[in-house]
This record gives sequence, C-alpha cells and structure tokens, in this order.
Amino acid sequence: MEIGTIIAGILTLAIYSFLYRDNPVYKAAESWLIGLSIGYALVVFWQSTIIDILIVPLFSEWRIILIIPLVLGLMMFSRFSSKTSWLSRIPIALMIGTGAGVAIPAMLYARTLKQMSASIMPLISENGTPNIEALVVLIGLLSTLAYFYFSREHKGVIGNAAKLGTYFLMIFFGATFGYTVMSRMSTFIGRVDFLLTDFLHLIK
Amino acid sequence: MERLRTRWIIFLGLAAVVVISYTMNLPFKTSASPATEKAYKYIETLPESSVVIISFDHEASSLPEIQPIALAMLRHVFRKNLRVIGLSLFAEGTAIGYEMLNRTAGECNRNYGRDYVFLGFKPQYISAILGLGESIRRVFPEDYPGNKTDTLAIMRNIDTYDSVRMVISIADGDRTMQWIEYAGARYNQKVMAGLTAAMITSYDPYLSSGQLFAVVGGLRGAAEYELLYGRRAAGNRGMLAQSGAHAYVIALIIIGNIIFFRSRRRKREG
Repeated sequence: MEIGTIIAGILTLAIYSFLYRDNPVYKAAESWLIGLSIGYALVVFWQSTIIDILIVPLFSEWRIILIIPLVLGLMMFSRFSSKTSWLSRIPIALMIGTGAGVAIPAMLYARTLKQMSASIMPLISENGTPNIEALVVLIGLLSTLAYFYFSREHKGVIGNAAKLGTYFLMIFFGATFGYTVMSRMSTFIGRVDFLLTDFLHLIK
Repeated sequence: MERLRTRWIIFLGLAAVVVISYTMNLPFKTSASPATEKAYKYIETLPESSVVIISFDHEASSLPEIQPIALAMLRHVFRKNLRVIGLSLFAEGTAIGYEMLNRTAGECNRNYGRDYVFLGFKPQYISAILGLGESIRRVFPEDYPGNKTDTLAIMRNIDTYDSVRMVISIADGDRTMQWIEYAGARYNQKVMAGLTAAMITSYDPYLSSGQLFAVVGGLRGAAEYELLYGRRAAGNRGMLAQSGAHAYVIALIIIGNIIFFRSRRRKREG
C-alpha cells in the first residue's frame, strides 16, 4: 500500500474521532489540514504569481514595464509603519477602482438584468393554456420583494404579500438545506469508499 | 452523558447504514434529470476534435463529491474524441485536476499535448477568464508540466473562446458564477457546471434563465450521468448508500417528533 494512502486513511479516521468527542488526535489532524492547505496554496501562489508573472519576465526577458506592479506591490508593505502607511492607499485604490470597474457592469448584466428579463415570461402560452411556471415565478418574485420592502409597514396587501413571500423563502431555505445535507452525506460516502476500497481493501 | 450516548447511537447507526448499503453494491435505478440529460446530450452531439475547457474550481475537501462527477464527464469527453484544455482557478484544484485528467486520458488512450493539456492554476480568476477571451497562450505561456503552450499540438489554431465549444466548470463554490458573468456574458461562451449538491439551488436561477447551459449536480448528478454514459461507477454505487442515509435521517426526524410530542403531552397531563 502506498504511504500516501496509509496517511490519508489514518487522518480520515482521526478526523472522524471527533464524533466520539473532541480529542488531541482530532486536533492534530485538523491542524495538519489547515497547515497543509495554507502551505500548498502559498507555494502555488508564489510560483504562479511572483515567479511566473513577475520574476521570470522581469529578470530573464527584461520586461521593464513590470517594475510598475513590483513597486505597487512593495507599497502594500508600507502598512507595517505608521509613517509610511499612506503609501499603501495608492495600490489599494488602484485595485478597488479597476476591480469595481470590471465587476460592476458584468454583475449588473448577469445577476440583475438577465435575471429580470428571465423572470418576465408570458402568462398565457402559445396554445392558449395558462403558463403555471410563469405564474408561480411572478407570484414568488413579487411576494418575496414585498417581504424585503421596508419603506411601508407590513400591513394590509403588503403584509399579506410579505407573508406569502416568507413561504417562498422557506421553500428555498428548505431546498438549500436538503441539498446541503445531501452534499455532506456524499462527502461521508466518498470517505467510506476510500476507507473500504483503498485503505482496508475490503471491497473492490 | 445520556445526550452523548444518544449522539453516538445516531452516528453509529448512520455509519452502519452507509457501510452496509455501500458494500451491497446493488444497481441503483434512477432516471436522469433534464439538466443532466441536457449536459450529456450536448457533449454527445459535439463533432470529433471539438475543444472543451474543463476548469477544476474546487477545494480538496469537496473531492469525494466532485470526483464522481468529474470522472464521469471526463470519460465521456475522452470517449467522444473531444480535445480537452484543463485548467484551475482554485489553487487546491490544480494537482487534483491534473491527476484526474491523466487518469481518465490513460483509460481512453489519449495523448498529452495532442488530445488534452493541463494549463495549471492562474490567480486573479476574473482577469484570467477575461484574458482567455483575448489569448489563451498569453494567459498561460506554459502548461502545468512546464512545456511552452505554443509548442503543443492541441493548441494549434486555438487561442480564444472562438475555438472552444464549451466551458465546464467543476466547482464547489461561486467560481462557476464568474465563468457565467465574464466568459458567458462578455464572450457568449456556453458554460456548463458540475457542482456539489449544496450549490445547486444557488445556480438554479441561472439554469432557468439559460445563462448556465446545464448542470450535473452532486452524487445524484454523477449517478445520472453514469447511467446515460452506460458505465456504473462511484456515483451509482454511492447513490444506494445515500438513499439509505436519507431514509435513516427521515426515520430519525419522525421518531424525534413522536418523542417530542409524547413528552409534551405527558408534561401537560401531569
């Protein structure tokens, strides 16, 4: 058996030992997981960002323009001193400005405008029968919006609509919770598969 | 102590249900959902040598759920002789994606560099997704093993989304959203997803609006895909265990409610 499989099997059992009670074996395995995840991500980021995008092109291919992001990056470290911390505002402002410039139009289009247009459907289908799906979407949309409308007290028509909105929200939360339970079960089944097949060789 | 004992009984019961139903390995009868069927049919209709991008946008912790989906879809695209460009927008997905690509390519006798390539990880996912629309070679001058992207046969005549028929994002979070927002909205690129079950409801509105072409969701999605593909694997085997676990949880909820109402009635009476 490979050494990696043995370590993975022992660590899986160590993590599940938490189900008995909190214990040092579980804590050790948890710390390993966090440490390894951060360490792995750090190495990948260092290689793919600092080495591949900055160091190699700048010092091997002499792309002088890269001095600008290098200086901007170094300016971020000025935060460690109160006298020079104002310098870090320049790269932060640049990042927020460009980030917002790129993200806002895309998000507005994909998350708002496209979703709005998708929720406007004909209530009567082409063959003259009522479009039940469109009706449910319309009622769900308006009643849920009414629930989040706080400029007027939730009384009368708005109150009833808001109450109906809570039912739609509860259906959504229920479905999401159900799927989350399903997801966690799948993760557990995946580990059971690993333990029985690769680690213990009980099934093929 | 009584509470702790109840907890152990519940956990041990769940473990027993899952282990027993998993080892039984009975064929699980399921029918494919429209979203999974749409994903399968689209790949099925793609002409040979079409290019698909598969992005491994997930953490290692979701691997048990993600792997059956990814393997089922990868086996299908390789069996259909499609060319695959693999990449990752999540650092932890990099090595996992590379391993899964190599494994499934090996099963189908596909060659690295000609039939598939793994470009590796790119930080700043928004600029990476937008950059792929301008030039894939510029965003990834080298592939994951360190070959110059220019020199790979698969990359000949492929440099933007124009040559790519589909982006498949294998994700456990919101990375698919960025594919929809940037590759889908800006470059009109078809986006499909393989998602963990917990993420399905978050993406339902995008599936309904057509911004997301199709979804293969959770272990159930993997089982459905395996059914369509005609090769039972981890997804199908896991579904029996999952159904057993769900029945167990439902039984616990019913028993819990009966105990609750009986104890409440007893308190009222006396």
